[in-house]
Amino acid sequence: MKNIIKHILKVVMLMAMFFVQPSCIDLEEDISSVLSMENLTGEGDVVAALAPIYRTMHVLLRHPCNGGKTTFGADDRTTWWAGNKAPFRVYDRFDYGSGENSDLRGLDGVWNDYWKVIYFANNLIDGLKTATAPEDVVTIADGEARFLRAMAYFHLVRTFGNMPVILDGYTPTGEEQRATVLVNYEHMEDDLLTAEASLPAPNAVEAPGRASSGAAKSLLAELYLNWGGWPLLDASKLTLAANKAKEVIDMNYYELLPIDQLWLLSYQNSLESVFSLQCSESENIYNAWTVGTAFHESRGWSDMYPELQFFFDFPEGPRKDITFFTDIPQYGFSEGQIFIQDPPTLPWQESQRVHPMYKKYHLSVNLNMGGRISGFRAIEVIRYAEVLLIFAEAQARVGENAESIEALNQVKRRAAGLPYDVPDGTVDVTTATPNEIVDEKGWELAGEYKRWYDLIRSEMLEEVTLRRSPDENVDLVRQPTKAQYISPIPYEAISTSNLEQNPEGFIIQ
Amino acid sequence: MKKIYGSEGLFIKSFLTSKLSKVMRIALTLFFLATLQIFAGNAYSQSARLTLDFQNASVENILNEIEQLSEFFFVFNYKLVDVDRKVDIQADNKPISDVLASVFSGSNVDYLVLDRQILLSPKTLISEIKTKLQPLTVSGTVTDENGEPLIGVNIVVEGTTTGAITDVDGKYKLEVGPDARLIFSYVGFETQTLAVGDQTLINVSLVPGTALEEVMIVGYGTMRKSDHTGSLASVSARDFELQPLTRVDQALQGRTSGVAVTQTSGKPGAGFKIRIRGANSISGNNTPLYVVDGMFVENINTLNVNDISSMEVLKDASATAIYGSRGANGVVLITTKTGKKGPAQVELETFFGISNVFQRLDVMTPAEFAEGVNFADGSEWYTAQEIDDLRTNGGEDWQDRLFRQGAFTNIQLSLSGGSEAVDYFVSANYYDATGTITDQNYTRYTFRSNINANLTDKVRVGSNIFMSREKDLGTRADLAMGLSWDPTTPAFDENGAYNYTPLIPGTGNGSNNPLIAPENNTKDYYNSHMMTSAYLDWDILDNLVLNISGGVEHLQMAHNDYIPIVVNSVGNASVLNQGVYNLQNTNRLTYRLDNNPDHRLQVDAIHEQQYTAMTETTARASNFFTDNTTYKNLSLGEIQNTLNSSADESLQSFLGRINYSLLNRFLFTASVRADGSSKFREDNRWGVFPSGSVAWRLSEEAFIDAIDVINNLKLRASYGVTGSQAIEPRATRSIPVTSTDQGYPFSGAELTVGVAPSNQMENPDLTWETTTQSNLGLDLGLWNSRLTLTMDLYKKNTTDLLLDRVLPAFVGPTRVVQNAGEVENKGFDITLGLILLDKGNWHINSNLSFSRNVNEVLALVDDITYFELGNIYSSNTFPVNPTRVEIGQSISAFRGYVFEGVYQTGEEDEAAVYGKVPGQAKYQDVNNDGVISTDDIVTVGDGNPAFTWGWNWNISWKNLDLNFILLGAQGNDIYNFQRMRMMGLGAQQFHAVHANYNDRWTENNPSDIPSGRDGTEFLSSQFIEDGSFVTLKNLTLGYTLDNVLNGIGLESLRLYVSAENLFILTGYTGFDPESTASGNMDVDIGIDYNNYPLSRSFSLGLKVIF
Repeated sequence: MKNIIKHILKVVMLMAMFFVQPSCIDLEEDISSVLSMENLTGEGDVVAALAPIYRTMHVLLRHPCNGGKTTFGADDRTTWWAGNKAPFRVYDRFDYGSGENSDLRGLDGVWNDYWKVIYFANNLIDGLKTATAPEDVVTIADGEARFLRAMAYFHLVRTFGNMPVILDGYTPTGEEQRATVLVNYEHMEDDLLTAEASLPAPNAVEAPGRASSGAAKSLLAELYLNWGGWPLLDASKLTLAANKAKEVIDMNYYELLPIDQLWLLSYQNSLESVFSLQCSESENIYNAWTVGTAFHESRGWSDMYPELQFFFDFPEGPRKDITFFTDIPQYGFSEGQIFIQDPPTLPWQESQRVHPMYKKYHLSVNLNMGGRISGFRAIEVIRYAEVLLIFAEAQARVGENAESIEALNQVKRRAAGLPYDVPDGTVDVTTATPNEIVDEKGWELAGEYKRWYDLIRSEMLEEVTLRRSPDENVDLVRQPTKAQYISPIPYEAISTSNLEQNPEGFIIQ
Repeated sequence: MKKIYGSEGLFIKSFLTSKLSKVMRIALTLFFLATLQIFAGNAYSQSARLTLDFQNASVENILNEIEQLSEFFFVFNYKLVDVDRKVDIQADNKPISDVLASVFSGSNVDYLVLDRQILLSPKTLISEIKTKLQPLTVSGTVTDENGEPLIGVNIVVEGTTTGAITDVDGKYKLEVGPDARLIFSYVGFETQTLAVGDQTLINVSLVPGTALEEVMIVGYGTMRKSDHTGSLASVSARDFELQPLTRVDQALQGRTSGVAVTQTSGKPGAGFKIRIRGANSISGNNTPLYVVDGMFVENINTLNVNDISSMEVLKDASATAIYGSRGANGVVLITTKTGKKGPAQVELETFFGISNVFQRLDVMTPAEFAEGVNFADGSEWYTAQEIDDLRTNGGEDWQDRLFRQGAFTNIQLSLSGGSEAVDYFVSANYYDATGTITDQNYTRYTFRSNINANLTDKVRVGSNIFMSREKDLGTRADLAMGLSWDPTTPAFDENGAYNYTPLIPGTGNGSNNPLIAPENNTKDYYNSHMMTSAYLDWDILDNLVLNISGGVEHLQMAHNDYIPIVVNSVGNASVLNQGVYNLQNTNRLTYRLDNNPDHRLQVDAIHEQQYTAMTETTARASNFFTDNTTYKNLSLGEIQNTLNSSADESLQSFLGRINYSLLNRFLFTASVRADGSSKFREDNRWGVFPSGSVAWRLSEEAFIDAIDVINNLKLRASYGVTGSQAIEPRATRSIPVTSTDQGYPFSGAELTVGVAPSNQMENPDLTWETTTQSNLGLDLGLWNSRLTLTMDLYKKNTTDLLLDRVLPAFVGPTRVVQNAGEVENKGFDITLGLILLDKGNWHINSNLSFSRNVNEVLALVDDITYFELGNIYSSNTFPVNPTRVEIGQSISAFRGYVFEGVYQTGEEDEAAVYGKVPGQAKYQDVNNDGVISTDDIVTVGDGNPAFTWGWNWNISWKNLDLNFILLGAQGNDIYNFQRMRMMGLGAQQFHAVHANYNDRWTENNPSDIPSGRDGTEFLSSQFIEDGSFVTLKNLTLGYTLDNVLNGIGLESLRLYVSAENLFILTGYTGFDPESTASGNMDVDIGIDYNNYPLSRSFSLGLKVIF
């Protein structure tokens, strides 16, 4: 027994000496599971770095209450006067302009996501400078990153005003101040000019979701059109806008789809689609415009529907029939399934929201994904119809010509259910004022996130708001002025930085 | 010559003539023995040499001469020693023994040299004394009346300073002479005196009573309580064993001052929050360090409270600095039970009972709700007829549907015993409870085995094994959504099928019938926890002990969810597996020098290391065609994705500590610990944490000793530095994000994998958060400790805070973990113990604890004055976090607009300035700029209480016992977001359901409840309420039957009834002021939103010992 104990003691002593060795447990963290993104070595690496940029843009634009939250002052959208729609109503009622409501729910998410796009893009552009991937892969990815970065800045600047300049090759400290709107526009122009040259032609893109030179040119045209309007009002940019849009038209690649096909799921990523954000039913990556624009009785959220005056002004015809429901679908939900009620519809005047409801997003509705309706159609960001109207308007502002009138007429013909490229005396016009073209664009792109920006750059907001129907249930806090053209910057952005809130911090040039 | 005459002489005489009791003789002998021991290394009698030359001199003369020549002196009795006898003596440089041998040769007198003292007496008596000086080794175990070993019992040989202290197993060993008497004393127990006789094994069972405690458990070992200089609070099993408890927090709550214990949720098996002297860190974890039998453990949620023998809460830096990097949040030391020597003892305890949510919210009736909807929408969704119908019959009371009566059962079985060499304690526990919210069931099994063995006299080993398994089944109903759902739609239609959505679409809120998810979803969560440890104690030398311990902890979580097709049309399954593996080793060398009462010294040197590895795998699948297999066959789902992660962390530590006690009055402790953590980069890795403390035992000073009423008085002061590294591993790194949320379907179908740059900025400079704490304490015992008082005053300053800083979004990464700022906690803790009655059949004692802590942010990064926390509370609910970190405020100060009621008729012009109309909410324009904006958000409340208290009572009369505990908090605010939500404001809420809305403003009802659709803020003082409360937390009445049961083999049987949360006094209008949505966070304490309310429960129990 004694021997055994002595033996045990020896073992224990050895163990003790072993443990007393300080190097026994290593103090370095095991980071072997961490991916290093220092060097982008192949096409796979590059595409993996592009994916989150597109995905974040998708999150922003897939839904009326993300990126679109600040555009409810436009007449193509209003919201439920009660319920939980206060964040939209703040914009619909113009309840901002002196810094109030910067703490609106969800506003910080919009801001943060646009900056996320810029951060991811900057990171990729920097990484590509030393990348060992094939040159064409690097060039295209650089173009896509710049295209998406410009798009994010474009939304930010039009929504919140001038932004700090945060580009590749620069490590922000958080102390940055806001630059001017002009400086922001110049950087966007730089990016888009580079992208336009780097990106493949629309027929050469690797996948329908990836940006082409046509997309970059179209966005650049839109940028120039805005540059020519409020707040920079630089008329010299209007010619550039017209020329750039014309370049897209002259690619002879894009077409307008028949109006009854345009919004179907099976016609997504068509020749009319210049740039769209992709959804996936198999991955449950959805387009929330379908559920967001549907009323509660249609198993939706009642987030957004057209103002009455906008609906009344909207010219009758196939386009209006495709754009709006005047008979509101009545869906129920039971045992995990959406079902169609009896009666299947109610006239809009008897519906819960007492308005017509957007139909264009409903034409691809999916009734099998839960208690709410859903949709998986690609989200149109730039359609060829918009390019035609940018050309028509920009040209009209510097002096309309036959080509610009033809561009406008192509949109009008398609809206009437006619072949778009065959002149037709029943709808064709021979002249149009820029504001008439803005209105045409409002109808063509109703509910598509464009109307608000058109109303402010053309300074038509005040006038349009004066025509608002007295039957609207959302009460205006005030008639809008220029103070309502830009949104307050979210509270957290102001309180964590040196940025100055609007209107004091809003510097045009 | 120091001859002793008169009465003093009589004393010596009686001693030697055996007229006095044996006690006195032994006492004197042992006094001599002790003196001998003290001077053993310096024996004068060995070295002294004498030169004498006497002819026919009297013995007395010779003795006088020896005293003149040397330091020797003689003690004797004239009646027994003939000093007139004449002798001749010649000695040349001889030792005293030679001299005395010749002086007394031929006489009946013998001598005993005790260093300088020489005892002269007849030979028979001297030989008796000599045999008594032969030491005898006595050992044994000291237990309490239930057989639980008592740690640190003081054992003194009567009349001497020789003694011993029992170890963690209640064992002691000491050497005495025969006929010695041992005095056993221990705080809270009657002192017992026993004669040794010729026994070598003396086991003692102490009876509860009062005495002074002598030894306490501290970090890394034990020490004499009288020597302790730090601040700690102690809870022993005796304090809570009469109550039926299932969680550790119940044992601590209200019984310890300076310790805030909060049951944050009424969910069975839910965790709890413990804060010691406030929260230091803003973003880091403020949970104290839990040490169970020397092992650091992640959490103590599943620990079986019935296995606990004692808990020590270390509060000040003197007590915690030894834990260095881990000690900043305080330390809770938990010691589990061990077996006692003797035959096996079996204890069986069972209790069962029911529980119910004790307060309901005031909601609108279905008819009132319908009227409210019509009012809010300005449309007639409900006709007058429908409202009339709802008034008489119809609708639904969702509180009735979502709450139910819970039931619980607890069975505890333990077996303990031991022999001379081995002792064991084995226990098993089963706890099963159903939640008060539909639809949850919780079951927990625990097992413990503690075994200790003496391998030799010098080597002791032991091992502790703990295992638990939790089953947490069922989805709870969402109270935020569920209680604000449409009350006009019954849960079921006339066919008994669910009404999935409101009968009128768009009423209440946007969710489905709140019963569907809890009744149909599958949620099976399983957690396994295993903790094993072993130690070896080796007495290398008498004064030197080596302790080596090591352990392995393993946590395995399997969280499985399935949402069936019937709920959401597609079916969603998710399986999460997480494993945490934790390895620990501690090596301690302790040197003790305690045989001189004037200079006691203990030195500890420790090396410790810990390694933790975590892995996590989540697999998800959706779009199932069948609900049959739920989460158990993920391959049946069409969409699948998986993610996994792993991380590790390690810590190396070197520690040293010195305790020194001077003259038993002045006590010093100093310690230093160096820690290296893998969480920091190499240059910032090591932190050094020193501490020092002093104490003065005033009660040992004559001027206090003279005051009869004071039996203990000690002043303590300490100062020290502790650290924290309570952040996630890899906090210094910027790690790319890879998840399916980063992927993109470039072709509208399958996802391309995406890799995004990190949302966290790299910070290689990150290092330790340090807390500097000073503490002043006082311990007082009056009337033989019938009244005890412990008071501590402290101040803690935490600097280099590990701050999870929100960066402006344009920087790119949205957060960075930074060292910055300073937070101060200061306050005081008071514990008052009172033995009110301890006479005959009556025993009444009471304990009051009182804590006050004030928390304030003193500094932040650079020159900024406040710090946004981001949407950490709930990004979907609040655009601005309800709290922020601001200099001059506490870290959970609530922010909001100042609510000033409603604009009334006649105030149109004033309202118009702010774009409002009568009926809309009015807020204070704090900066008077004509706009209500975020600049008008101010501090509107504080979730921190001004003070908290607990008052525990134990009353017994004969076999009847009554135990109850009252607790309360004063001055804490609650942000009642549950009410806000139910007022129709929240993110997803359409219409109000709270009864306050019945009193909404109209022209005819000029109330202060806003009725406008717009312009009401979530964050406003409208929803701040006072959360002060007093509650009777637990009341137990028991009756113990003993003796009468011996016939059937039972030692004792106790029957009891118990109630938890029997009453609560509060003005708070929510479910209760204790449960909180903030969980374990400290920056958002006091938020009420979808809380799991606490319940009132009644139970019946039985405990048998045989």
